[in-house]
Amino acid sequence: MTPLLSVEHLTSGYGRRTVVRDVSLSVQRGEFCALLGLNGCGKSTLLKSICGLIPVQGGICAVEGEDCTHFHERQRALKMSYIPQRGSPIAGKTVLDVVLMGYNARLHLFESPGRSLKQQALDTLGQMGLGEKADLDYAELSEGQKQLVILARTLVQDAPVMLMDEPDSALDFVNRNMVLHQIRTIIHTQNRGGLITLHDPNFALAYCDRLLMMKNGSILTQVPLQTAGRDEIESALSQIYGEIRVLQHPGGFVMVRA
Amino acid sequence: MAKQSNLAHRKLVTAAFLVVGAALAAAALGSCCVGKYPISLQEIGRILTGGEVEEMTRRVFWNLRLSRTAMAVLSGAGLGLAGAVYQIIFKNPLASPDIIGISSGANLGAAAAIVAVSGAMATVAAGAFLGGLLAVAMVMLLVRATRSLSTSTYVLAGIIISAVANAMIMLLKYYADSDSELAAIEYWTMGSLASVTASKVLTILPFWLVGFGGLLLLHRQVGLLSLNEEECRMLGVRLRPIRRVILLLSTLLVSSVVSVTGLISFTGLIAPHIARVMIRRQNTQTMVLSALVGALVLLIADILARSLYAAELPLSILTTVIGVPVLLWFMCKRKGEIA
Repeated sequence: MTPLLSVEHLTSGYGRRTVVRDVSLSVQRGEFCALLGLNGCGKSTLLKSICGLIPVQGGICAVEGEDCTHFHERQRALKMSYIPQRGSPIAGKTVLDVVLMGYNARLHLFESPGRSLKQQALDTLGQMGLGEKADLDYAELSEGQKQLVILARTLVQDAPVMLMDEPDSALDFVNRNMVLHQIRTIIHTQNRGGLITLHDPNFALAYCDRLLMMKNGSILTQVPLQTAGRDEIESALSQIYGEIRVLQHPGGFVMVRA
Repeated sequence: MAKQSNLAHRKLVTAAFLVVGAALAAAALGSCCVGKYPISLQEIGRILTGGEVEEMTRRVFWNLRLSRTAMAVLSGAGLGLAGAVYQIIFKNPLASPDIIGISSGANLGAAAAIVAVSGAMATVAAGAFLGGLLAVAMVMLLVRATRSLSTSTYVLAGIIISAVANAMIMLLKYYADSDSELAAIEYWTMGSLASVTASKVLTILPFWLVGFGGLLLLHRQVGLLSLNEEECRMLGVRLRPIRRVILLLSTLLVSSVVSVTGLISFTGLIAPHIARVMIRRQNTQTMVLSALVGALVLLIADILARSLYAAELPLSILTTVIGVPVLLWFMCKRKGEIA
């Protein structure tokens, strides 16, 4: 079966500097994968290269078997969506307006979203528990709610592949759990493919299906969490994080400093 | 609760449009009446219904007053819309079309026409129009050469092109005949609607319509460009071509206005602020309201320009007088507002 997202021998970087070296990975439908690594290991660069935000120096990045390395923005937006670390400052727009931006790639250049799309956007907001907030000014929401609105915008964009660059970094513990829980639920129930970069491996252990460990621009190991045992996880994580221990608890695994 | 706030906000928007619309209609009527040769409202009524009026009155109304009023509306609306678009896509409340060198380019074009060809109005207008377009074309070439995608590159390129244009204007002024040409160059930078005629309005109208209509049609793309570049692209906005088209349309719009009126300060800057404060939103409605407010500001400025003093005052003095208090108020109120 062709994977939903498949990256083969991808090399990319800034100008002449190569940051990501010959990376291959794949994400299946309904699978939520985490890219883990230290600062500067190239995980954001890898994600942005898959997004097409950084020109690719070599290799292929295909969605549903179709190479989209040379797609322009509009074509790509139908295949993959992206949640940034921290959304743009948005002033003077209602929550609904922000969600409606997600339809851009599906509309003609001069077209505005019609009644049925608006209703769909409202329903999606309702799904995030933000139905009441649709007409409020986006800037008045809390950081956690803002990130949920951006998630709703991503959902109406309706691209099969969801890419996320530390979407939790501005959030507190409660909001972080809530947002990651929502993302995981959507990926599993709607059969999309998710690839997320995270700083805190414990959140990856709690919410993701597979860990991709990155170091010096390459992927060292992959850990499928459903089948992996404590030892396998610990040895994989210690390749990046050094002296650590992985503990098992009824809900899964946690990483602590040794 | 959400339903209620939505309803209240809709009422606010309706009220804002009604108030500005009514004021605009009143100012337009006033603008047709006021001047060296006053025309009463009754006379205007008779002219429009085909009744008896003096030939002179009829001619002043059709030839001068109406075209002047129309030009004030077109100019104000054009500058107001372009200002709103620039503040959105450059994510900067102080942005105006000047930011990418339109004014300096138009100024250089006008000055070059005055010094090198003649001071004839048509020549100066053509020079200014081409100068504005050329300056923006140069800015785009510079941006293209850097292969950068960020908006700040446009601002930097605009500063460079403006600086070069200003140096060339100085050179032209240095060589200009100090009695006639220098005065004409200076006077052009102050803006005026005094010499507007119907044929001028009709000449620029097609350019104005393309610019204004094009920007309104692209309103959704303008809104998306308010996001940072990466987010915007991942929502499927083809950044380079879309941004280029929007900048070209607004340049067409502003150049068509400025070629007839000369430079008009502050209108493009304050109209969007007033609109935004009125309806507390930054969206398509704000763009349209900003155009209406711009037209209103310019009509009032032009009425004052021809009624305050025996001779006509330059427009920019009055738009500045109107603009500065608005900006001061905005400055004081700004804490925590749209940054």
